[in-house]
Amino acid sequence: MIRRFLTCLAATMMLGLPAITEAAPLRIEITNGVIEALPFAAPDFVAESSNASQLAKDIAQVVADDLSGTGLFEEIPDSAFISTITSFSSPVQFADWKAINAEALISGAVSVQPGGGLTVKFRLYDVFAGTELGSGLQFTGTQDGWRRMAHKVSDAVYSRITGESAYFDSRVVYVSETGPKNDRKKRLAIMDYDGANLQFLTDSRAIVLAPRFSPTGDRILYTSYETGFPRIYVLDVASVRRRVLEQQNGTMSFAPRFSPDGQTVLYSLTQGGNTDLYKMDINSGRTQRLTSAPSIETAPSFSPDGRRIVFESDRSGTQQLYIMDANGGEPRRISFGQGQYGSPVWSPRGDLIAFTKQNKGRFHISVMRIDGSEERVLTSSFLDEGPTWSPNGRVIMFTRETQGANGKASLFSVDITGRNLRRVRTQGGGSDPSWSPLQE
Amino acid sequence: MQIGYTISGVAHVGLIGWVLFGGAFQPTSEPFEVTEVVAISEAEFDSLFNTTPPEVPSTDVVAPEVPDVPQDPPEDPAPVRPPPRPEPPQPVEPDPPAPPSPADDVTVIAPEPEAPETEGPVTLEPLRPEAADRVAPTPVEQPDPEDQVADVAQEVETSDQAGEEQLPDQERTVEEAAATEIVTEAEEAEEQGLSRSLRPRLRPNRPEPPQEVAQQPAQEHTQSAVDDVLAGLASEQADTPSEPARPSGPPLSAGEKDALRVSVEKCWNTGSLSSAALRTTVVVSVALSEDGKPNAGSIRMLSSSGGTGGSVNQAFQAARRAIIRCGARGFPLPVEKFEQWREIEMTFNPEKMRIK
Repeated sequence: MIRRFLTCLAATMMLGLPAITEAAPLRIEITNGVIEALPFAAPDFVAESSNASQLAKDIAQVVADDLSGTGLFEEIPDSAFISTITSFSSPVQFADWKAINAEALISGAVSVQPGGGLTVKFRLYDVFAGTELGSGLQFTGTQDGWRRMAHKVSDAVYSRITGESAYFDSRVVYVSETGPKNDRKKRLAIMDYDGANLQFLTDSRAIVLAPRFSPTGDRILYTSYETGFPRIYVLDVASVRRRVLEQQNGTMSFAPRFSPDGQTVLYSLTQGGNTDLYKMDINSGRTQRLTSAPSIETAPSFSPDGRRIVFESDRSGTQQLYIMDANGGEPRRISFGQGQYGSPVWSPRGDLIAFTKQNKGRFHISVMRIDGSEERVLTSSFLDEGPTWSPNGRVIMFTRETQGANGKASLFSVDITGRNLRRVRTQGGGSDPSWSPLQE
Repeated sequence: MQIGYTISGVAHVGLIGWVLFGGAFQPTSEPFEVTEVVAISEAEFDSLFNTTPPEVPSTDVVAPEVPDVPQDPPEDPAPVRPPPRPEPPQPVEPDPPAPPSPADDVTVIAPEPEAPETEGPVTLEPLRPEAADRVAPTPVEQPDPEDQVADVAQEVETSDQAGEEQLPDQERTVEEAAATEIVTEAEEAEEQGLSRSLRPRLRPNRPEPPQEVAQQPAQEHTQSAVDDVLAGLASEQADTPSEPARPSGPPLSAGEKDALRVSVEKCWNTGSLSSAALRTTVVVSVALSEDGKPNAGSIRMLSSSGGTGGSVNQAFQAARRAIIRCGARGFPLPVEKFEQWREIEMTFNPEKMRIK
């Protein structure tokens, strides 16, 4: 009996030995990473026609600037390159790019067609994986649209690496400001998101305020003091034609904003010393009063689904943020921190609300969740106000004004993490920015 | 009793006497050879082993004149020009449509702000590896194994030539097999390999126990069966071409695991990840070589949670980059415990890295 037991035990041990040798792999958990810009290389695009050399350089530079400007990517300078890309179709020497720690490589080519058209194509490589990231893309257009094509390349690269949509092929409308503070000239201006291709939409005879893009980017709402009283106008971007949207004698209308479907406009209307929220069907002109309180309700903004509205009100005694149904109803207060809250804007993603906060003599651009939780202060200065979201909900642009008689308003942008605070390049001063959606 | 002592005493005395005087401890004389030797002097010994030649008076020797014959430099072998590389297949590009005309200017004060339009993007064909030199312009079928491959290419015999001249019989040869592009074994494996894994073999039926067998033979049968199993296992292990023995060692200590974790974390860059990817946890498997370097081809995602589609892929790519970048010089792992860490499962949990 004992012998049988020992024999079986020996057999069991011999059978079990390999199982022990092939034990489960080592398991570890990685929880603390680093937050750094991802290094990338964007060598000059290959000029595939003799008259495309300068465009090839310029387009590559715009792509590099777009990506570097996000703060999420870091361009590796040309001087560090080991390899050069002389042909768009040649295989990539990944070892050379790996040696300079480039995690992403963008190669491209530009050619000017005999008819004057421009063709831009690019490929994106994951250097450490040694593979192409997505498929190569080709854009065609006119030569004077080369910056848009460069932005489209940047959009594709950004999306493929980060996994979220981008915002480079977009525009910003804002109030251009010139002259001293006591005699400031204000005009509506429109430009690419990076400040290029600046164009003016109005003259400086009347004060203009708070321009807002339509969801399709083809129209702009703004407030003008052309008649001496604030009035809301809608301007067609392509034709630059405009018409007054709301005109009631003895009233002031301002702070307009489009609904997500572009058919309705929210705005504030002051009548008899009281300011309330109204909604207007933009085609029929039919209006609907949404609030009727003795307090001041203004700065309304739709949620992305168009079902709710966030706005500011002083009904509690101090300026706070409230959310209510898009057709009116009982508002629900969402801000309970110290200071005053104003100019709320719903994120295109729908998860956050950006706003201006004034506390202890300073102004801040902040964000919070739509239930008022996780309030996060992103900036702090003498005067920061008027946030607007990038099309992908990742970046906020706002106005920063410096102190003193010579104080000047400028446009700034900041990531929703509070990092990458940058001044937006504008001609002269600027305020009240509104970011367009991505262009088609 | 005394008789016994007496006999024993006599026997011992006899034995001791035989040992002492009988030659038991005397060395046996081995037979040996006798060789004659000759004594030599020291001078003769030196002359035998001294290799330096004896000094002789030097004499100038005039080198014989070499006839001045113009010699051609050794002719370099004619540079063998590689066959021209076939051009890699060009990506098919659609003809660009007629570009839209630039936007017209409008009023002076408000010029046309519409940016010039661009056409929608066109997806390009993926790049193919560059064609290698040793690729024939036209493919040739694999010859029959019994045929001899010709050293030089043969002209294809036309019917006219065949009619003009009768060539003597010669051994039949065929052209060497060739293809228009090099297909590696790895690529072939995709086409020729198994499309799915083999089904595991069925478990053998349990043998029927003998119905009427005596107890003792049953025990012997069981014993022999166990012996057979053990012998089979032993022979199987002996037959299996086992890999060279690698150090196994004890499991990694907490400190060693921490060092590995920290070395990966240094390269896990979540800065460019979307908020969706920052909510995605991925479990990644990687095989390491003995120098601690990861095998990039072995990195694969085992599972994910909290994300979908694109965010999972972004999270995996960030994890993959972290492993490859920081493992390029080898992770700090004790080689004597190689078997413990030759395969690692890393869980990348971005909970602490979320920005919102």
